Amino acid sequence: MRMTAWTAALVATLLLPLAVSAAAQAAPAYTYQGTVHTLDTTTGTLELITGVGMSLRLVTMTAPPAAAPANLKPGDVVRAECRRTDTGLVADRIVKIEVPAP
Amino acid sequence: MTRHRVAIALLFFAAGCEKPLKPGDPVPKLTKEQRDRFARGKVVFDSVFTPETGLGPLFNQDACGECHEDPAGGRGDEVEVHATAFHASPPNPPPAVCDPLAQEGGPVIQLHTTPALKQALGIDQEPFPPSATARAMRTSPVIFGRGLLDLVPDTVILSYADPSDKNHDGVKGRPNRFVDGRIGRFGRKGFVPTLREFNAGAFGAEMSVTNPEQPTEETVGGKPIPAGVDPATDPELSQEALDLTDDFVRFLAPPTPLKAGKDGRHGRDLFSQIGCATCHRPLLRTGDSPVAALKNREFAAYTDLLLHDMGPDLADICVGLATPADFRTEPLLDLRGAEHFLHDGRATSLEQAIELHGGEAAGARDRFKTLSEADRAAVVAFLKSL
Repeated sequence: MRMTAWTAALVATLLLPLAVSAAAQAAPAYTYQGTVHTLDTTTGTLELITGVGMSLRLVTMTAPPAAAPANLKPGDVVRAECRRTDTGLVADRIVKIEVPAP
Repeated sequence: MTRHRVAIALLFFAAGCEKPLKPGDPVPKLTKEQRDRFARGKVVFDSVFTPETGLGPLFNQDACGECHEDPAGGRGDEVEVHATAFHASPPNPPPAVCDPLAQEGGPVIQLHTTPALKQALGIDQEPFPPSATARAMRTSPVIFGRGLLDLVPDTVILSYADPSDKNHDGVKGRPNRFVDGRIGRFGRKGFVPTLREFNAGAFGAEMSVTNPEQPTEETVGGKPIPAGVDPATDPELSQEALDLTDDFVRFLAPPTPLKAGKDGRHGRDLFSQIGCATCHRPLLRTGDSPVAALKNREFAAYTDLLLHDMGPDLADICVGLATPADFRTEPLLDLRGAEHFLHDGRATSLEQAIELHGGEAAGARDRFKTLSEADRAAVVAFLKSL
């Protein structure tokens, strides 16, 4: 049976939400809050210290310049909203958390 | 007599009227279901883990109850190693930055390996981080009354802080903060914000048992675990087992202080008069809680949960905002069961522990040293009643 243009458009319309949903499932969102350990502005690589209790972990992510505050430095506390890609974690938004001075 | 001292006396009097709580008892007035969870949590707490059930491949001990065993939830004779790096000078400009060395396996350096890891890498313990600027020895802390300490509101802790010593008493308390900026209170440097996280993190840091709240394995000096040496599937501890363990620790009561004799009561007064109680605040009050037995309860804590500079002789590692010399005021609970004192167990008597206090505690220490022999003995008698 020949598919008409109208039928093709209908099928595409029906399948589009599924495709978008599959893409969303492929890149789940993660939020990390921790201390900046290193920030390599040449490679856009950010290492964040996170953890539970005394069990600490280093989380490495790509931080595009558009996603990170300009004055970010080691020791800053941030919240990073990320998604996992084939090349690793990529930050979509990094927000600096102001911690009161001791 | 001040209102504060009346409150302490009433608390001790009330404690004397109720059935005394022994080390290892649950807090009174738990529901039947909570007592059941306490009992079941103790079973997990005392469970011995093996590589097949999640232990390792790096670990300090194979059970919670192995370090906190004397009695259940109490102290043990184990000493573990922590390491961090404190960069007080360039390349890091002031203020100094503390690196917990997560990239090199820090801050807790595990002292044992499973046979499979030993075979794979030929090591008996985790390598000491090459970037560490200091090593710290840590005795197992008692964990009685931690559920109550967990519920002291942050606002109360902050109200005790005096970082610029505005009252000119030489004591500057300040809170530590976790890596995410929250106020800390647990651990010898007051780094960990909640009891829940301290417990879940301990499964990871002490036994490398992954759980739903710390689902990734410890590294070996910052490097991934070799393939094939960790046979258990992550998470190695179920949510239910973690929850039960957390409830067991949360419901462990602070033991009732012994009835103070005339010397002990005199020692209690001297303890306040010479300034010990400035940091070792006798009473704290919990805030709101879904557990009625823990809610809005005043309890003998003898801590302000703040960091204080204890002087260069006790200094070891930094953690969070805590400099090497900063330590959180240790809660004085179950001192009568202790044989070693201070964070690393270096003191073998209470008198020696007091004399090793320095920094912000130097004034109180010096006033203790100028007391008569009988008065010093009274202070020690009071402490031994806790």
